[in-house]
Amino acid sequence: MMAASAALRTHAQEVPPDHTLDITPFELEVAAHRTIKTIAYNNQVPGPLLRFKEGQSVTIDVTNHTGGGEVVHWHGLFLPPEVDGATEEGTPLIAPGAHARYTFTPRPSGFRWYHTHTFAGKDLHKSQYTGQHGFLFIEPRENQARYDQEFFLALHDWEGQLEANPDGSMDPVYEVSTINGRVLGFGEPLRVKQGQRVLLQILNSSPTEVHWIAFAGHKFEVIALDGNPVPQPRVVPMLRLAPAERVSAVVEMNNPGVWVMGEVRKHIMAAGLGIVIEYAGSSGERQWIEPASLSWDYLSFTSSTAPSGQRPQAEPIPLVFESKFAGHGAMDHWTINGKSYPHTESPKLTAGRRYRLQFINRSTNNHPVHLHRHTFELRKLPGNPETQGIMKDVVLVDAKTQVEVEFVANDPGSTLFHCHQQNHMDAGFMMLFQYA
Amino acid sequence: MHKWMWVLALLASLAATRPLRAQGNYEIQVYGSATVEPKSTMVELHSNFTPDGQKYRIDGVYPTNHQQHETLEITQGLTSWSEVGFYVFTSWQNGHGVQWVGDHIRPRVRVPDSWHWPVGVSVSTEIGYQRAVYSPDTWTWEIRPIVDKYMGRWYVAVNPALERTWHGPDVKQGIGFAPAVKVSYDFNRVVSGGIEYYADYGRLGAFDSLHDQQQQLFVVTDLNVSPKWEINIGAGVGPTASTDHWIIKAILGRHFDWKKPSALD
Repeated sequence: MMAASAALRTHAQEVPPDHTLDITPFELEVAAHRTIKTIAYNNQVPGPLLRFKEGQSVTIDVTNHTGGGEVVHWHGLFLPPEVDGATEEGTPLIAPGAHARYTFTPRPSGFRWYHTHTFAGKDLHKSQYTGQHGFLFIEPRENQARYDQEFFLALHDWEGQLEANPDGSMDPVYEVSTINGRVLGFGEPLRVKQGQRVLLQILNSSPTEVHWIAFAGHKFEVIALDGNPVPQPRVVPMLRLAPAERVSAVVEMNNPGVWVMGEVRKHIMAAGLGIVIEYAGSSGERQWIEPASLSWDYLSFTSSTAPSGQRPQAEPIPLVFESKFAGHGAMDHWTINGKSYPHTESPKLTAGRRYRLQFINRSTNNHPVHLHRHTFELRKLPGNPETQGIMKDVVLVDAKTQVEVEFVANDPGSTLFHCHQQNHMDAGFMMLFQYA
Repeated sequence: MHKWMWVLALLASLAATRPLRAQGNYEIQVYGSATVEPKSTMVELHSNFTPDGQKYRIDGVYPTNHQQHETLEITQGLTSWSEVGFYVFTSWQNGHGVQWVGDHIRPRVRVPDSWHWPVGVSVSTEIGYQRAVYSPDTWTWEIRPIVDKYMGRWYVAVNPALERTWHGPDVKQGIGFAPAVKVSYDFNRVVSGGIEYYADYGRLGAFDSLHDQQQQLFVVTDLNVSPKWEINIGAGVGPTASTDHWIIKAILGRHFDWKKPSALD
């Protein structure tokens, strides 16, 4: 059904599009007297907020003004492989100077995002290391959200360079970290009023880094993860977002002042990851309250009641994540079940069947793994607690732990699965599921 | 005057003399550019044995043959780009027992990561005293540029060191050139192996004849068992007449972190 309503064309269209995206080199002013040469959508970082209506066809014209091939991935949507935005699935690359039209019917509703999905390798100024990311909100047919103001915030890291890890491999570390392309204190604060309920739509668009976010003097009521409502909204002191994860949280504005919301870890906030939130009528120095420790648990949001009816049996698919040493001067290579992409296995899925992916992480790195074109349900978290009802498209599998998720194979076509850390997916941490 | 001209002028003023050798076979190590992190300390024990060395006492200096050298090196990180190291040199030899040989101090700075240089670059300078029965040049100074680079499994480090005697018979011999080079290969995450080359060519601009130069070639292995530990083991030969012919070396280092561990850092 979706395939009939979706297409990507690479020649000029007669009918004007609903939206246009121009991929262009861009100089981003992250701070006073500090610009970063990058690539952006429509000369802004993040790219424009695109709001689509669920189930209503949309066309987006994308023009690539850069010197390298590009593709735009519509992260979290159930789209056919030819427009999902991964060349591994079959979406064509947009050649330098070329134009492409993406036409599709967006679903499901919720907070999604779009970003480049190309290879960066050792070049830490390409692909997700650039500013090629933007918010995508699929509006439900009936909007029941209750809030007074909404902010979309993207966490990102810039100017990476490879440094040695204690485990003997190399990983990127970053000089600059931003929220919506600016360091803490640069640019306008978020302005709020006392008594408001503010909905924060937070995306971690970092190429490789997990981020922990706290809002001094306030708490977050988490209502959705990766754009999907959680079974039990919970009030938490801080958020943890792995690369590509999203958190939708409501904050009660009940503590007037000038506050900082930002990274809990000192060195990352010092690199700029923070934003000022200013109540109307408040002034003075911004205030930050250092949390005592890190806290986050997916289990907080699990459903307390078992689903009605018999849950269909899920076929297990074990996926073992391991690293292959490539030298103290190189990034590790990555394997799934002993093989690196493009030599990884391609399990055959049967449409309509339920599968249980068993992520067995034997490496010393954490991995934010992402399944394209589907949503999965968290079923088992480290320490063996069973969970249910939390629907996501990215889950962080901590080092030396096991996480299990279930999904229904309900969207035929090539389906990419990969670690969302750019350097891991570039070094083999990808595989394709195929439908029988 | 440009900065490099000042450096040249300084070197020219120092070029009156050179030592035969600064640290001898007490610390046999090619330096990498990385420095010890602030609020942490690296303690290393350098153990070097000379199975086949100088067998005769020359100019009052004990023979090196069958000497066991134990050197304690303590390096304290100062900033993210600087450190200072202290050395205590000792020697054990049949007939002489355990003897204190001397002490050195070695401040070192490196190019910060934020400069994005394609290679690691560092400069150390080392000043110290050693007893005349172990080295006729009792006060020596060394400046050691350090350039290194990891390339996948390969590692290359070059230390084109310059040495000078401040007190001793070689005080008028000028600046000596004593390069060291290391090339190693990572066989796996733990075991690396390679070659280390150490030399003292003699006075800068008027190198000694090959007969009088000191040259040593070591086959070494580095065992990366843990970020806390440093292990380097090697066996070397000295092919020239002025070099100890056969040396065994080992470095055992332990890293101590004094920072209070916090997930928030």
